[in-house]
Amino acid sequence: MRSAALTRTGTAIAAAARDARRAWGWPAHAAAAGVVLALLAPLFLDSIDVQSLASWLYLALAATGLGFAVGLAGMPSLGQGAFMAIGAFTAALLRTKAGAGPFEAALSGLVVATLAGLVLGVAFVRLGRVLFAVATWLLAWLVALTLAAFPAISGGAQGLVISRGSLGETAHYELALVLVVISSLALFAIARGAPGRALSALRERRAAALALGVRATRLRLGAFVGSAGIGGLAGALSVQLAGIADPAGYGPFLSFKLFAAVLLGGMTSAIGGIAGLGVISGITHLSHWIGALEHLSTTRFDPMLAALLLLAVLGLGGQGLVPFLRRRSWRVGRPAAPAASASRPAPAAGAVLGAHGISKSFGGLVALADLSLEAGPGTILALIGPNGSGKTTALRTFSGTLVPDSGRIELDREAITEEPLEGRVRRGIVRTLQRTAVFEGMTALENVLVGADLRRRHAGAVRTVLATPKSRAEDERARAGAHGLLEVVGLGAAAETPAAELSSSEQRLVMLASALAGSPRVLLLDEISAGGSAEDVGRISRVLDELRRSGLSIVLVEHNLRLVRAVASSVIVLDHGRVIASGSPDAIARLPRVREAYLGTHRL
Amino acid sequence: MSLALQIVVTGLAAGGVYGVVAIGYTLIYRLTGVVHFALGDFIALAVFATLLVAAGTGPVTQTSVGGARFVLALAIGLAVCFAAGELTYLLAIKPYLDRGSTIGWVAVTVAIAFAIRAVLSAVFKRPSYVFPDPLPFRDIGKGGVVSIAGASIQVRAFFVIALAVALAALATWTLEHTRSGRGLQAIASDLEGAQVVGIPVTRLVAGAFGVAGGLAGLVAIAAAPSAPFDVDSGTLLGVKGLVAAVIVGFGSPWRAFAAGLTLGVAEATIASASISGVELGPAYRDVLPIAVALLVVALRRRPALELE
Repeated sequence: MRSAALTRTGTAIAAAARDARRAWGWPAHAAAAGVVLALLAPLFLDSIDVQSLASWLYLALAATGLGFAVGLAGMPSLGQGAFMAIGAFTAALLRTKAGAGPFEAALSGLVVATLAGLVLGVAFVRLGRVLFAVATWLLAWLVALTLAAFPAISGGAQGLVISRGSLGETAHYELALVLVVISSLALFAIARGAPGRALSALRERRAAALALGVRATRLRLGAFVGSAGIGGLAGALSVQLAGIADPAGYGPFLSFKLFAAVLLGGMTSAIGGIAGLGVISGITHLSHWIGALEHLSTTRFDPMLAALLLLAVLGLGGQGLVPFLRRRSWRVGRPAAPAASASRPAPAAGAVLGAHGISKSFGGLVALADLSLEAGPGTILALIGPNGSGKTTALRTFSGTLVPDSGRIELDREAITEEPLEGRVRRGIVRTLQRTAVFEGMTALENVLVGADLRRRHAGAVRTVLATPKSRAEDERARAGAHGLLEVVGLGAAAETPAAELSSSEQRLVMLASALAGSPRVLLLDEISAGGSAEDVGRISRVLDELRRSGLSIVLVEHNLRLVRAVASSVIVLDHGRVIASGSPDAIARLPRVREAYLGTHRL
Repeated sequence: MSLALQIVVTGLAAGGVYGVVAIGYTLIYRLTGVVHFALGDFIALAVFATLLVAAGTGPVTQTSVGGARFVLALAIGLAVCFAAGELTYLLAIKPYLDRGSTIGWVAVTVAIAFAIRAVLSAVFKRPSYVFPDPLPFRDIGKGGVVSIAGASIQVRAFFVIALAVALAALATWTLEHTRSGRGLQAIASDLEGAQVVGIPVTRLVAGAFGVAGGLAGLVAIAAAPSAPFDVDSGTLLGVKGLVAAVIVGFGSPWRAFAAGLTLGVAEATIASASISGVELGPAYRDVLPIAVALLVVALRRRPALELE
């Protein structure tokens, strides 16, 4: 028993080492060498320089933290300075008033800022981007004005003077460097792992990501809290390094500077914040130096320089410095993905979806009137009817993006009428959207993985960062499964193709594979064949037929009667929200009203 | 009683300015979905451009500027502010709106705010400025202060309130009764529809950006002589206006204006209020309203998540 477990652990470690070697290209060598050199730097520098470098590194730490919110989750946070301030003044007050040690103070700063981030995050992350920016901007002002107004907290104009304590500037420097490296590695790992994939799906196409069951609120909250906590830690440490907590240093400009740094360096890069901050500081130093030659004080131009730099980069349509450099010179491709082993995940058993007397009106418009239907395992139920007949509305009430005015929806005889979208996806009801909705910035395989990640249990942020054996094994299974599903829809060869380069009907098949990756029990397909050629329709009909035979319950909304006749087990015809006919595909196709609607009144 | 009257009048005067700024935010938000983070700094731009022409960058006394020169200064100040607003939209905001990049225009507007502030503080190096006063309010009452029912009130306050109400009325009237105003309303309710029927969307929206800054600048200039003005005053006015606009959810211009007036009175009340013996005092004046605005944003019932 024990030896088996040891062997497993040994294998896992060996696999990890193998992967690490594969990913270890020369940029990683260069970065590692740089970090080692940086660690040794205090040997060659005098203490003033070490102090200012350490203080810069703490700022870089806060910027890296902000990368979690801005880069990873796409939330324009203008309040990172506020979290630095919270951490800084928590630490400063504990040091000066409560006699706490440096590490207790730093830890408390981290905890208080994290809690503040949690409370504010619960309120803010549900907002759209615009209101999120407004809320964080007001937060930056609230904290700055609070510090200005209450000398009891901030020490007034003199600030709070903190004794140096046991941590010297060299210790601060090394600590800051290690924290910066750890936080950017964590950001890098999360961005490449399942949480990063889900967040970038959300950034790209919110509706499609939600339809696949991505937990938007939770992920964004996690990113925001992480960014707040890191900001607080940076503030709590830097304030002790400086030896003084000066409220004037934590105004909205600090927040803007960090935000600008992330955008300048490139929000999609884990080291974007650091690089951007480097550029800002470099230019600022240069201007001070030139100013000193002319005996001018140029400090007042600092905000100007940061602003102009940002305007220039954004004006050039730039993605930021790091992505720019990477495209230009590094040209290191991603490490080759592990050999594409494809395995088809065992399909989940279908479930019975039942609707009983569903009605829905929008204002005076009746979209659905008393619709009842049942879709069982191993069958395909097709909903057809002219535009505006209520087909998509029906699917939306099944998938949980719309609550019916009356009636009951059941899954395996259990009422789920009020269950929101996320819960239904977890129960196994997955819907594809009417519009083509792939995540264009990802490859076909990554698209499918967004759906697959939903069923993973070891893919949280912490496990992703630590790359635990369980998480890695699961990752490999998910990849193999995603490959298998791409083969099922006939796109096995296109796994590494960017989704944007696929044809629109191939994109629909990718969307179908993503939906299948979540192991649905009931699949809701909204015009999956729209715009496809006869060949595409043939391909889709083969795929659907196979899925039906594997025991899935499928509800199909379709305009293409040929596809309906080829695959449907039964058909319901809707018009103005009412069922006007139902029966077998052939019987339906013979109905005059249907022939009239689809084929025109001419006799063939 | 006298204290209450004093609080209300001072509060309304400050609130009138907030209200006009809030109208600016609301107008722009409803037209484009943009929150104009640089609006407060455009106010500072208008005030300081006027000051520059009227009196230069040196020390000023309230009486040192003649009427004609002030009118010229005012015209130039507002023109600069209007043009800056239009150009900001056309060159900096519109490209990101067209690309659908929220982060882009957020970054650009905030960057412009800090850039304006940096330029102003480079030109106007004194910590704060007295703004010249071409209207002879100081000849009324005791040096411009009258005593009503025991309350000492600056005569200027009534002027600012009247001007703010007039500007708010003018803005609403323009929206409802002029061609451009109806065009703007059409854009706010249906952008694509407005484009289809041939409304010059870009020109009108750019004009709205200019007017939003110009109106706020005008009322801020009217209020400026009553207290020292510095580079940050404009930014802070911008924040106050934003607070008012956020509290009413960027609703109609009148609601934004009313929220601004309420905010002004609330601030004046907080500054001199005590709750069960504990003085609130000026320290809470700036802080409490922002906290309330954040609470409102957090607690507002939002329409069901946009899912499709």
